[in-house]
Parts: sequence; structure tokens; C-alpha cells
Amino acid sequence: MVNTWSWIFWLGAVLIGLWSTRNPVYLGLIFFILIIVWHLVKTGIEKENFEAGPPVPISPLKISLLIILFSAVFNGLISQYGKTVIFTLPAWITYLGGPFTLEGLVFGTINGLILSGILLAFFVVNLALPVHSLVRLIPPAFDNLAVIISIAITFMPNTIRQLDQIRESQAIRGHRVRGLRDWIPLVMPLLVGGLEKAIGLAEAMTARGFTHSEPNGSNKNLRISQVFGLALIFSGWLLQFISSSGTFGKGMIGLGLGLIIFSLWIIGRRTPRSIYRPEKWNGYDFGVILISIIVISVYWLPLLHLDRRSLFYNPYPAMTFPAVDPMVIFITLGLLAPGILIRFQGGSEYSSVEPKPEDDHF
Amino acid sequence: MITFREVSYSYPGTEKPALKDINLDIQPGTFNLVIGVSGSGKSTLLRCVNGLVPHFSGGVLSGDIRVVGLDPVQATPKVMSQHVGFIFQDPEYQFILDRVEDELAFTLENIAMPPEKMHTRVEYLLELLEIEPLRNRRINSLSGGERQRVAIGTALSLKPEILVLDEPTSQLDPQSAWQVLKAIKNLNQKTGLTILIAEHRIERLLQFTDNLIYINQNGDRLITGSARQVLEQIELVPPVTALAKALQIKPLPVTLEEARNSFSGFQEKASTPAHPPEKVSPDRDKLITITDLQVSLGKSQVLKHLNLDIFQGEILVLMGANGSGKTTLLRSIVGLIPLAQGNIIIKGKDANKLKVSEICLQIGYLPQDPNTLLFADSVEEELMVTLRNHQETGDPENPEKAQRSIQKALSQLGLENLSHQYPRDLSVGQRQRTALGAVTITRPEVVLLDEPTRGLDYTAKETLVALLQEWRSDGTAVLLVTHDVELAARVADRAAILEGGRITECGSPSVVMRSSDLFAPQIARLFPDTDWLIPEDVISGLGGSEQVDKIKAP
Amino acid sequence: MYPDKKSNNLISILIYCLTTLIGLLAFTYPLIFPAFNQPDNNPIPRLAEMPLMMTLLLGICLIVLLYEVQGQSVDAKLIALLGLLVSINAALRFLEVAIPGPGGFSPIFFLIVLTGYVFGGRFGFLMGSMTILISALLTGGIGPWLPGQMFAAGWVGMSAPLCRPVVRIIGGEGRFREVIVLAVFGGVWGFLYGALLNLWSWPYITGPANQYWEQGISWLDTLNRYSIYYLVTSLLWDLARAAGNFLFILLFGEPVLRALRRFRSKFSFQYEIPQADLAAENSQG
Repeated sequence: MVNTWSWIFWLGAVLIGLWSTRNPVYLGLIFFILIIVWHLVKTGIEKENFEAGPPVPISPLKISLLIILFSAVFNGLISQYGKTVIFTLPAWITYLGGPFTLEGLVFGTINGLILSGILLAFFVVNLALPVHSLVRLIPPAFDNLAVIISIAITFMPNTIRQLDQIRESQAIRGHRVRGLRDWIPLVMPLLVGGLEKAIGLAEAMTARGFTHSEPNGSNKNLRISQVFGLALIFSGWLLQFISSSGTFGKGMIGLGLGLIIFSLWIIGRRTPRSIYRPEKWNGYDFGVILISIIVISVYWLPLLHLDRRSLFYNPYPAMTFPAVDPMVIFITLGLLAPGILIRFQGGSEYSSVEPKPEDDHF
Repeated sequence: MITFREVSYSYPGTEKPALKDINLDIQPGTFNLVIGVSGSGKSTLLRCVNGLVPHFSGGVLSGDIRVVGLDPVQATPKVMSQHVGFIFQDPEYQFILDRVEDELAFTLENIAMPPEKMHTRVEYLLELLEIEPLRNRRINSLSGGERQRVAIGTALSLKPEILVLDEPTSQLDPQSAWQVLKAIKNLNQKTGLTILIAEHRIERLLQFTDNLIYINQNGDRLITGSARQVLEQIELVPPVTALAKALQIKPLPVTLEEARNSFSGFQEKASTPAHPPEKVSPDRDKLITITDLQVSLGKSQVLKHLNLDIFQGEILVLMGANGSGKTTLLRSIVGLIPLAQGNIIIKGKDANKLKVSEICLQIGYLPQDPNTLLFADSVEEELMVTLRNHQETGDPENPEKAQRSIQKALSQLGLENLSHQYPRDLSVGQRQRTALGAVTITRPEVVLLDEPTRGLDYTAKETLVALLQEWRSDGTAVLLVTHDVELAARVADRAAILEGGRITECGSPSVVMRSSDLFAPQIARLFPDTDWLIPEDVISGLGGSEQVDKIKAP
Repeated sequence: MYPDKKSNNLISILIYCLTTLIGLLAFTYPLIFPAFNQPDNNPIPRLAEMPLMMTLLLGICLIVLLYEVQGQSVDAKLIALLGLLVSINAALRFLEVAIPGPGGFSPIFFLIVLTGYVFGGRFGFLMGSMTILISALLTGGIGPWLPGQMFAAGWVGMSAPLCRPVVRIIGGEGRFREVIVLAVFGGVWGFLYGALLNLWSWPYITGPANQYWEQGISWLDTLNRYSIYYLVTSLLWDLARAAGNFLFILLFGEPVLRALRRFRSKFSFQYEIPQADLAAENSQG
């Protein structure tokens, strides 16, 4: 089982990798790695009795290819720049008229690879992490929100079941759904029922000691610092346009950000709570995190003695074959790690066999 | 432990107080049962103990309440939750999280209990409520009884001294209900937890009740004491006690076991059987014929080779264990579920060829949750909606005729004075009758009711019984699915049992209901070799009260 | 007590304004960026970081605003109500497949608008953003688009109370014209929502350093180019959404408003321990 935080580091490594290079070879490699990891996670979940997140309803491979295709063609049509012309559209077509070049196509493919890579990375993490792991990440300053989210998730099946029952009840008094208006007898009992049940739930929560959280008086100073943080960010963002490198402006943004994060952290510390089921860490998790950090360093920071020139690539004005550094390739392969772990490791926190939920229509 | 002195309370916006000058004392470690008709202030009384009244409900509270030395009004529900656990009626909407173990730990997490202590406490709760095998289950997949036990577990997570329960079993079937009540009894006996519970189904609870508390209709008088003392003074008593009262047998038996002693020797003296053998008049129409029915839900076959006939002008009661398929049968009759095999003939027509909207012109079906029907702004409007639905299916009704049907239906349902009220603001019984009106406004010849007695108190049940009997005399066939054996005993012309997917017993209630202890009313279990089902049967079976005096004399 | 409350409200207002302002800037970044850029600057790295900047700015604004709306005087009733209403709205989103409707036709907005209108901007913001979050969590749709969607949907709910003065001017509550105002509001947001999200995805999809960026062009020019992009990609989609919102609110508005108002009148109050009681307690204790 791979830890939530390991997955987050992995995600960060993938995103930074995708962002830092425009070399189609590297990007293609990352893309293929993502597809493989996706596949490994999927099979791992089916075989090893894993608790997984919900899969996306559409096939990620298909969507990725679509995006790459669309991006390539779109850019080819729009850019009209480059030496290797494939065909030419007549000039009277506004905006699109002009030469359709190979360079444009390649540039678009690169964009497409980056975009679909981002999507795939998120798809994988969605699949590998069950919903409650994600909810657990919510910081303590947002406790109320976490409860709202938990309630909404917990009662989703009830709501859907309720809708089914309402549909049947309305059917047996002669109701038929033919147009939009006919949804009123379905939505209204659902809504009103939800409102009534909310009161019952609130009463149960109150009886368990859930209280009125204090109006933000006690956190006033911290909220003031948030206002300052926002103001800093705003002005910093404007400033960074003025100077050529924008470092001062960026610095202000960074400062504002830091201020806000710090204030939220302090607020979080003020609400004491303990955790019943803390994340379990094992050697593999640390391994994944280590690999992720190495990948990040290679792509982003000039730390290791690698020739980073291969990361930058521009097909314009004339298409050339991209330079490739085998060391980068080798390190990027490390991103396969969590997929392999999931495929060949078993177990989940909740290791009991789930009986099917009772159909209470019996 | 709990004292009330001259406590009065009115809900916001109401003139009439829910409680008036109430005085009460509850001793630690006792099992206290609160009874009274709906709307009598039972719920209000219970909610005063942990401060929900008035903190959650608003309104005006006067008088003095002390719970373990604290004043709930000053202390607020947050503090009181450490001393008072509260369980509500609805097993579904009491939880925040999805897994049993996580839910149990939630309250503990919020008070920052150290993790090892949390684990010990959760293990303790799982064991105490005997829900250890459920620890990793999703709460949504549990039965009602299991859910209530988990709710009790969470209520006890801070180890309160008192547990208050407001009709915790009224939404449950008898088996689940007994699970929950047993758990509560164990808590009281093993840990000395003070219990304050309001319930309608009191028969099983009376044997371990230390203190019975009766609240009258107006909420201004309490009768408290031992079970026997209180039952002597009130009308709301179990059948064996009612019988004993009618026959003036002392001491008043409160449970079946006590009644067996009090009534020993009566059985042999019976003269005539109470129920003549099932009278099936040959010229009664068969309204519904079900032959060799097979219905599957998902992968499991719920109904197999099921045969049943429903006749005009009768009340047929259908009983069966939880999950046996009673609701599935009703839904199949109305056409909501496709039939795998077999057929259903409704007044000569094959139901397979009819649409649901056509079938429900002739069959009125009251689902288990009548709230799923109600959405109009007034009771009258609710009935109108159904009529309008059917108008569109080609059944022409001129507006005056429609108004007349509605007025007639409202008066039969006892809702004339409420015709402009918002249905969802009405009491449970009134809402149910509104829903019944909505499905019977087309004057169907058959009415199917799915567990209509859930959450109803005695008075509401009586009103329902009267309505069903009126319909029966009009010639309507009523198929009543219920767990409530006492109600079934009062109202059934015929009874049937659904087991293993088919009808295993069908016929005279006195025979069918004796086929198993699960379906036998108290009187039947008291006198197994007769065919008596209700106290009235016993009295007439013994030949009237004069005869009874002779029997009683040693 | 009193001056404290005033300063609290001031801080709230500041936070609402700043987050809305920065959020809007984040969304419209691609429009105004070329205008700001000086001719002698190298735009490539700036362009490259544009989507990143947008996500960052939007993300932080979302976080601050979310903290603000859920931090203050929240009681069990509000939380339970939001939790259940969000689950209903998210369930309705799954019905998007069941209700035959083209493109962006979405049933989630009418509840967001109507609850924001009845219960206030804070509620509306939470309703909008949490509906998006919950349905994303439950369909495996967590991704970089989430902050944008959450913010935009939150704005729909948060801005709904703006209809109140309009309704008051044209004749008040409880009449059908109220529903019409809300329906038009919903329709307009149908377009706006799509336009905002498109702005969001524009830099991602067309990629940084695309050749048709020119330095120093006015924001009108960029808007022009954006409109072409918009026309090609999402106009029809958004038209369906706008029409859907309009219809849903028109049809469902009256009963829903009635139900929400009934609920509000019955259950929104706080119990204050009467001062007299407190004094009596203190003197006795």
C-alpha cells in the first residue's frame, strides 16, 4: 500500500517534470510511464483487494490521444510558422489561412503531451487513493468543511436510494416523466426530505457535543494577517509586470503566500484534535518519496551534474531531432515505482470482506 | 440523578405548553420507561435532560432541572453530552462518517484524546455493544438494528452516566428491535447505566423496567411507579394486562409469564371458539390472482412459485421475517418490478400487459415511507395531484366531480379540518392518511399497505384500523403487510405467511398466526390451544363476564 | 462586544473583496497579460508560468475564502444542512446523464442560485464549491481544473443575493416575477461560468509561448482572439447550460423557494440564555 503523501510527492514530481521540459522524447517517456502506472494500479486494485478511489468514467488513454491529436492539429492550423510546410490553406480563411507546418504540428504535439500528462497523473492518483484518504488531508483549520464533506459523502448512497424510492412512489400515483416539468414531484420530496433529515442530523450532532464554533473573534489577528497576505499578493502580482524579471513582485507574492499559510497553520494548531487512524508509513513510502525528490532535482534544479540542455527544445524555426541524455531517461523511469508497488503488494486498511449493502426493499 | 421541579415548556410560536409543571425524580442505575400518546410531551421531556430543549428547539422553558448536579440549560448540550448519551428514532441520519470504527472514534478525536486511549475506548465500545464483527463495515450496509447499536456505541463514547433513547426501535422490525432492547438491558444490568427510554412497544420492556412513567395527553400530569402500579391506572396496556383488567384479575400481570400464572386453568373452561372457521362466501370476487410467481432482485431469487388470491371485501394480512420479500411482492403486484415467471391477473386482466399508471388506477399502494409521496402545499392539493396525473392518462373527470371525490375522501380519512394544511407539518398518522388519500383517490378496489404501523402510536393505529374496516365494508380488498401482530390480530380476516419466497400458510388468522411464535399475539401465546387472538375473543369465548366470575372462584 | 463585531465584519468584507478581485484577475490573466507586457521583455518564461500563476492565485484565494466562510459562527444545523443539500446536488449531477440534455446542460446550478438567494452569500458559496468538490471526489475527477470550477460555482451562489434588491424594486417576494429574475440570473451565469472556465483552460490547451501571442497588444485584441476561441469551442455548450439554468429555475423556482423559506422560518435561530436567568443563577450559586 502506498501512502497518501508518497503519492502526492510522486504527483509533484510528474507535474514538475512535465512543466520543466519541452523535449518530446522525455515527454513521451513520461506519458508512457503514466499509462503503464495507470494500468498497474488498475490491475493491482482488482487483484490485491485494495481500497481504491473511483475510476474516471472515460478511458484515460482515449482522452489523452484525443487531446494530443487536437492540440497538434489546432496548433498546426494556428501558428503558420516554420520551415517545413506540409500544405497551405488559402489566405482568405480568417485566422487559419496560411501554411500548415511540421514544426507547428510538433509544437502542438508537445503541448498535447504536457496537457494529457497532467490529466493522466491526476487520474492515476484519483484511482489509487480512496476518498477518505483525500479527506484526511484537509488541514485542521478547515474542520467544519471536513465535516460537511464527510456528511455529503456518507449520505450520497442514501440520497440516491431515496430518489429511487421517490420515483417509484410517484409512479404508483400515476406520475410519468415526460418533460422537464415532471421532475418537480421527484426533486421536491427529495429536497424537503433532505431539509427535514438535516434537522434530525443536526440534533444528533448537537447531542454528541458538536457545538457552535466561536465567531472568528478569537482568530481576528490571524485573519487580519490574511488580509495583508492577500494585499501583498495582489500588489506583488501587479509589480512583477513592471520590472523585467519581476523578482521583486514575485518575492512579494511569495511573502503574502507564506503569511497566509502560516496563519492557517496557527489557526489549525488552536483546535486540538487527535487522529485515530494515522497514515501508516513503511520503507516503500520513503523510497517513493526519495525517487520523486531525485526526479524533481533533475528536472528543476541545477543540482546534479547533468547536462540540462537536453530539457530545452524548440522545433522552430526548423525541425531538428531532440538531444537525449540517458541519465535523465534512467531517472525518469523511477516514476514507475508506485505502480509496481501497488501491483505486487496487497492489503488495505479495511481488510474485511464487504457484504453487499442490504436492499431494504425486501 | 435527574430531577425536574415544576418544569414547563412551550415550543416557539405555540400557545399551548408541551409540558406543564412537571415533577420527576430518576434514581441512578434505574431502567425507566416513558409512555404516552404521541404529542404528549414524551420527546420534550427526554430532550430536557441533555439540554436539546431549549438549546436546539428554542422556545420558553421554566422550572428547575438538575442532571447529575448540572443545569442543562446553563451547561448547554456540549457539556451535557459528557454525561448524557442520546439516541434518536431514525437509524439512518445519526452518523457523520461511513465506517463503524471511524464513527466511534470521531467524538474522541474531537476532544483530542491520546491515540492509545482512543483505541482502548473503541475496543471497549465494540465489545460492550457486541458489534466487534462489524468494525470495518460501512454503516450504510448495516441493518437498522445494527445501526442503532452503533449509534448507542457512539453515544457512550464519552462514558456518560445516563442514556436517553427516544423511540429507538419504532423504525425497526421485531427481531432487530429485540436486539437493540436486549443491548440496552445489558448495559443497564452490567454497567449500571441509567436508562431513560420512550417506547410504544412496551411488552418486552416491562419485565426489566424499574420505573414506569406515564405522561398524559396535555403534558401536565405524570404517573410514575412500578410497572404494575402505573398500568393499573392507565388505558395504554399490553393485551394480557388489558384482559386481566377486564376480568379484574389481581395481581395485575404485566408480562406473558406472569399472565400464564394468573390465567392458569382458564383455557380448559372455554365454551365456544371465538372465530368461526374461515368463511369464504362462494360468490366473492377474486380481485387478484397470483400464480407461480417468480421475481428476482439482482442475482437473488426473492420470490419462487408464489401463489396467492385476494378477494373482494376482505382484509388479508401478510407477515414474514425481515427480508423475506414482502415488499418485493407488493412492488411486483403494482408493476414496479418485472416478473421472471408466472403471472398476476388483476380483475381478469394480465398485469404484464398493463402499465404502472394503469394498474394503480385499480390498486392503491402505500409504500413504506409515505414521505416519498408528499410534496404539495396542502392536503387537498396532494389528492388533486394524483387526479391530475390520471387525467392525462385518459381518464376524463370534470372539475366538480373531482372536487366532490376529494371532499368525500378527506372526510373518510378524517382530514376535513386539515385540508389546507401543509402535509409535511402534520403528525405521522395524519401524514400517512394524506398519503393514503393520494393513492386511493381514484377509488381503487384493492389497497396494498406496506408496514403502515411504523412510528404510529396507539390512537393513530386505531384510526387506521377503523379506516381499513370501513373500506372493507365498502367491498375493497386490503392487503396489509405488517410486523405488528397485535394489530393484525385485531383486523385480519385472513392471514398469510411469506417464507422462503413462497406463501407457506394462508387462511384463518387464528390458525396461521399460531403457526409460529414469531407471528403469535400475546393472547394466542397465552392460550395456545384455543383460537383466541385478542382479549375480546377470550371474554366472549369464556361466555361473557358472568361466566368468568364462576371460573375465577376457586 | 459591539465594536468587535464591527471590526470582524470589516475584515470579512475585506477578505471577500480581495479574494474576489484577485480571483477575477486570475481568471482574466490571459486577457490582460499581453497588454501589460513591455516590449523589451522576454515573454516566453512569463507565458510559460501563466497557467501556473493562475492556479496559484486562484488556489490561494479559494483557500482563504473557504476558510472565511466556514470559520465563522457555524453551528450543527448549518453544517448538517449544507452536508445534505450538497449530497442532493451532487446526486443531481449524476443525473446529468439521465436527463436528456445537450452539452453543458447541468441541473446543479438551480439549487446553488436558489439557496444562495434565500440563505445568503456564504451559504451559496459553500453550496457551489462543495457540490463541485464532492462530485469530483466521487467520480475520480480531482485535477488542476478543480480550483477554477470550485471558485466559479461558488461565485454563482455567492452573487445570488444580488438579486434581492432587484426583486424588491420590481415588486417583492412571493410573486412569479421573482422567479423570472432568478431565472435570468441563472441563465447569465450559465454563460459566465463557461466563459470563465474557458479562460482557465485556454492557456493550458493552447500552450505557452504560442506564436499568436504578441507583446503589447491591447486587451481588446486579446479579447477578440479569445472570443474566436470561445466561439469555436464552447459557445454551444454554454448556451445549453444557460438555457438549462433558465428553465430549471423557471420551473422549479416557486416550490423550491417556498420549501427553503418554510425551513428557514422554522429553524434558524440561536438560543440565548436569558440574561435574567443568568443573573439569578449567579446570585444563587
